[in-house]
Amino acid sequence: MAKKILIIEDEDIMRNLLDKKLQAAGYQISTAKDGQEGFDLLKKESFDLVLSDIIMPKMGGFEVMEKMNLDPVLKNIPIIVVSNSGQPVELDQAKRFGAKDWLVKTEFDPQEVIVKIKKLLGE
Amino acid sequence: MDPQEEKKNIGAGPGDPQETESDLRQARSALLNILDDTEMARRLAVEERNKTLAIVQNFSDAILVFDEENSLELINPLAEEFLGVKEEDILRKKIEDLLNLPKTRALMEVLDMSGKDSIEKVFRKEFMMRPDFYLEITTVPLVMDSRAKGTLIVLHDITREKNIERMKTEFVSISAHQLRTPLSAIKWTLRMLLDSDVGPVTPEQREVLEKSYSSNERMINLVNDLLNVSRIEEGRFLYKPEPAQLEEVIGAAVDALQEDAKRRGLSLVFNKNKDLLPMVKLDKEKMKLALDNLVNNALKYNTTKKGKIEVSLEKLDGKQAQIVVRDNGLGIPTPQQSRIFTKFFRGENVVRLEVDGSGLGLYTTKNIIEAHGGKIWFESKQGEGTAFFIALPFA
Repeated sequence: MAKKILIIEDEDIMRNLLDKKLQAAGYQISTAKDGQEGFDLLKKESFDLVLSDIIMPKMGGFEVMEKMNLDPVLKNIPIIVVSNSGQPVELDQAKRFGAKDWLVKTEFDPQEVIVKIKKLLGE
Repeated sequence: MDPQEEKKNIGAGPGDPQETESDLRQARSALLNILDDTEMARRLAVEERNKTLAIVQNFSDAILVFDEENSLELINPLAEEFLGVKEEDILRKKIEDLLNLPKTRALMEVLDMSGKDSIEKVFRKEFMMRPDFYLEITTVPLVMDSRAKGTLIVLHDITREKNIERMKTEFVSISAHQLRTPLSAIKWTLRMLLDSDVGPVTPEQREVLEKSYSSNERMINLVNDLLNVSRIEEGRFLYKPEPAQLEEVIGAAVDALQEDAKRRGLSLVFNKNKDLLPMVKLDKEKMKLALDNLVNNALKYNTTKKGKIEVSLEKLDGKQAQIVVRDNGLGIPTPQQSRIFTKFFRGENVVRLEVDGSGLGLYTTKNIIEAHGGKIWFESKQGEGTAFFIALPFA
């Protein structure tokens, strides 16, 4: 059965591209425009992996991760953060919140995303 | 002789009261004149001194003067204000005393006074007196008739200049950040087109898209370079140095560029030292960037058929490692060599070749090496090649 991935990203273009790319790679995708929407979806449906932006309106990626860590089920879902700045300070903080891997928006390659996802899902 | 005069002359000699009185009168008159002249000279001197003092007291920079015995001889009102002291509290004090006073300690430390008993020769140093109050300190030895007569210290307020610098850097930082968003959007949309995710793509279309994609990549690299430079200038650049093996960092940098080297038909080798070297305190990411810039330059500026780039690592001496990045490429023209590390500078010979570059790579590399406590220098001959040398202290 296809693995389910949640994409939380406020930039429309990014969100749509990730959606298309990952669907083409065979994953079942749900998307959210901000942390609040994303967290609501997480409570309603079950996901195998979360791809989340950090800086977003209403609720950012770190807050989402914080909330997930407090939930017995959600805290086990692997998260890949998507960073705009790629600054070590930000990436380190993401790690401390429990992010398993990261991507830097201006640097990564769609292929790289898929490789990281496959690794975390044990494929 | 007239007998009357004779009589006078017989009496006129030393001891003669008339002569003595006249002599005395003359002497008195002369003395009075000398006193007048002296008084006039004294008044002129005082006037001159007052004029000079008025200049010093009203000068637009803070002034401190130490005499040849290194005790504070003069301090003007602006200096009192800058340091938050009163003249009567610190005048005549020696340097050791000033080191122990809380208000003057910081200044004495900047002048590197601890352990010394004389102030260094002419130098300019920037000094943060308080957050948002910056000073430029200049010290000048006072010499008269080739004898040291003391030291003059001038404190110049450069807070405004510092603020302008900071605003400039922030501007670059913010602009670069804003630019990344659309740049990454372009990168992705082009990628999707190229990967046929939005439908099949003809070879002609692919060619056009590839050009677009590579141009965008160049813009992304330039923005990253600018961001790095602005972070260097803001002092936000070095993250966290930890003891690490140089072999690993250099190996990673070289491996990452092997494919590029192959594509350009150049050979890229890494010659390690026979034995593993002692560790060096490194911010691995930044050091990799520093090396990336050097090796990338070596690859870019090489149009020879049998192009070879050699990266070697060895012990410089008991305390330092030495990395050498040597190529047989274009070389740096001698008249331009002194500017090679300056921001945005690119050699004439490479600009003419239309090889791409931002001119920020070496500036960034030099900053990274120096932030690690190391040194970087080079030897180059136009048409023959260049070798960059890096010395880094062991942990």
